[in-house]
Amino acid sequence: MAARICRYSTGPSLSPRLTNLRLISTPPDPSAESSKNTHFKITLRRSAISLGDKKKGTLAALGLHRRNQTVFHPHKPDIAGKILAVKELLEVRNVPASEVRDKLEQRIERKAPKGYQVVGSRMGGMDGV
Amino acid sequence: MFGAFRASHVNQGGLLWKTPWKLSPTRKANVRARLKKVDSVIEAVRASGVQCHSLDRALELPKEHEMPAKDKYTVFSPHAVGYRKGIHKVPKWTRITQRTNPKGF
Repeated sequence: MAARICRYSTGPSLSPRLTNLRLISTPPDPSAESSKNTHFKITLRRSAISLGDKKKGTLAALGLHRRNQTVFHPHKPDIAGKILAVKELLEVRNVPASEVRDKLEQRIERKAPKGYQVVGSRMGGMDGV
Repeated sequence: MFGAFRASHVNQGGLLWKTPWKLSPTRKANVRARLKKVDSVIEAVRASGVQCHSLDRALELPKEHEMPAKDKYTVFSPHAVGYRKGIHKVPKWTRITQRTNPKGF
């Protein structure tokens, strides 16, 4: 019976699957982490077509395979050398470790919000299973 | 002179695509914007605090605001009259760095 009341209430009691979803899509608080920059945020803006295999290889070594793709690398001399070898093609920013995102996290952040929030289902849904 | 078989540069086998000898104000503005973008990349690497030889070499390049207009829009050419030609005659010129001149030029 208690479970049934829960299902109809509009309070914060969501199924664990939905709470997880909300956690992922919430951007992290920038003030929570220290603002010390530890990583390069590297975006490929111009392609290396017909610039030679060396520059193409440098981009591949940085993990850049298509234009407007963004990758994160730590502040290290070998990464800095690769960036400067193809500096005309990139856009670079320094970011703290809390802003580092992998490919999947970037895609989730790009997604538009759904615009609604499921609070329950009359049919019971899957949360009882 | 008129009609379908009139003489023109194209059907006489002449040059159809002509490259202007100097850049227009818009193209020069685009040159400056690209130079500033490269400057910002070098500045970001410098601000990261890493030390490497490639950074030392990149910091030797003049910045966009330090360059004379001559170096922004023209390059040294051993064959051109006056030893300068428009930078837009250089292949891939929007994606390569060409900021300094050979010694003495």
